[in-house]
Amino acid sequence: MAISTEPEAALSVLPRADGSAKYSHAGYTVTASVNGPIEAQRRDEHAYEAVVDVIVRPAAGAGGTRERHLESILQSSLSQIILIKNFPRSLIQIVLQIESTPENDYVNTKLVQASLNFPIIPALLQTAVLALLSAAVPMRATATASVVAVVPEGQTKRMVVDPSPRDLDIAKSVHVLAFTSHDELLLAESEGDFTVKEWDDVYETAQRICCRPATTAETDMAIDDEAAGPDMRHFLRSTMETKIAADLHWK
Amino acid sequence: MATPSLSFSRPTFAKLSPHPYLLTNLSPQSPSTKPSRTNGRAPHEARPVQIHTSSLSHAHGSALVRSGNTTVVCGVRAEILPVTNIPQYRPRSSLQPSSTTTSDDDDAADRAELKTYDLLVPNIELATGCAPQFLPGVPPSSLAQTLSTRVYSLLHSCGVVDPKSLRIWHDPSTETKNPDESMQVDDNDEDDEAEPPQLMAYWVLYIDLLFVSFDGNPFDAAWTAVMAALRDTKLPAARWDPDRGMAICSRTKKNPLDVSRGGLPVACTAAVFQEKEYAEAGGLGGENRHWILLDPDRLEESLCRETVTMVVDCGEGETRIRSVEKLGGTVIGRELMRGFVGVAEKRWSEVREAMK
Repeated sequence: MAISTEPEAALSVLPRADGSAKYSHAGYTVTASVNGPIEAQRRDEHAYEAVVDVIVRPAAGAGGTRERHLESILQSSLSQIILIKNFPRSLIQIVLQIESTPENDYVNTKLVQASLNFPIIPALLQTAVLALLSAAVPMRATATASVVAVVPEGQTKRMVVDPSPRDLDIAKSVHVLAFTSHDELLLAESEGDFTVKEWDDVYETAQRICCRPATTAETDMAIDDEAAGPDMRHFLRSTMETKIAADLHWK
Repeated sequence: MATPSLSFSRPTFAKLSPHPYLLTNLSPQSPSTKPSRTNGRAPHEARPVQIHTSSLSHAHGSALVRSGNTTVVCGVRAEILPVTNIPQYRPRSSLQPSSTTTSDDDDAADRAELKTYDLLVPNIELATGCAPQFLPGVPPSSLAQTLSTRVYSLLHSCGVVDPKSLRIWHDPSTETKNPDESMQVDDNDEDDEAEPPQLMAYWVLYIDLLFVSFDGNPFDAAWTAVMAALRDTKLPAARWDPDRGMAICSRTKKNPLDVSRGGLPVACTAAVFQEKEYAEAGGLGGENRHWILLDPDRLEESLCRETVTMVVDCGEGETRIRSVEKLGGTVIGRELMRGFVGVAEKRWSEVREAMK
């Protein structure tokens, strides 16, 4: 299982869409396209704000109830960060195609599963945010997300960032947290069996990954080893910086 | 309590401009009046829950749950699934009819068993006419699909149903050892004494939920109905008949489904109502008061974007959280989330009283 630990991203991979992004992290690869603001259909349009339409396509098979649930989670989160009031009666459409997901080598996985797939949510959200940035859709804030699993280890418990499918099988609880760039909690999804104290610890771990201040990322990156996991906010920023530098290279 | 300047009635006001209507109710002019919602409840007041079980005669277990004007019927129907009909069936060698699962590995394997063979099939139908927004003759709305995914995920992650009570065994040597399986046995299949018991079939539980009337907060009502119906479920005692190659159910003897392992998880939902309807959420918008409305009704749900659902179980000792879903806004942070656990605990004891 060659799973990359560092996230990778490419912007504007699709030539005809308004914005697009390809993102891969922890074995998940997602491609997103964003079109908008475009004219909304009469039955969908809202008089005061833009409609955000999210479509999730699974890696294999047709979408089912699980994809509808993912769409509703992403839709409500993304409408919070996009300035939807600036575009009344219009539509911003985000299409997310899952390209690959990590396989659990120990068991036969079924193609169609109905239960909620937690670790895919950060990948989908991150790709959507990158594609929205690439489409230059005005946003109030960007968002970063991470997934943390609490895995039993003997008598104690251990927190695993970006858990593997094997970790997920034995995990006591799985948590997805997303933060805006103003350090506000945007999305929190958890399942399993846990206490308030454990949730607090998970919150701190996720916050450290999602909301590391930009200054420390520059200076003590090398010595900051105890903070496990990638620095998502820095990643988002450096991806955009690279893209802008490439675009303005002719100047 | 209409103010003199108001020349139309309360229902008209509510229909014309629902957001100012709810806001006026929540922020009364005089400080002596307590803020109340349009339905007369205080912000942290949930609707009382009423539960009736065993009202459907043809289901193995059923429950009717009423919470205000939200009414949901849940029926559990069990069907027999022979293992020969399961594609890619892989027998687990460690399984024994009487084995008790104690280790974590067994627990994970049990969970995987329920999941890979699809032994729990929840489905939610939002009936036409239960609320104005549901139109006839359309495919299941995304709300219905989202709800059934959430119920499915929670059923599995809580381990509500013990797979042990869903297994149907064939034990050629020791038919008499299992008194529940030997009620109407002819004892004609004792040809091989040494043969170990074999798992021949599973019970599949079809959990169907129908919303009779819909007035907000569908998930809490649906989950309460699922829990009540599963606790009410009694499966007929079944044994495997090797001659006919099918499972035979007893007419009289019924075994209650074992749902004790998952405890009693109870869902508690609240919505966040913000003062400015189309304001920037947080940050730049300046002062924007908000109210957390427990157990929102349909009008309130249409005005709130941010919702939080917490599933807790306070059965034994420390409160265990089973699931959290918070989305659609940035008002609820860490502190409010911690405080919400207390609200959910209160709701848990209310629902437990109703279940008794």
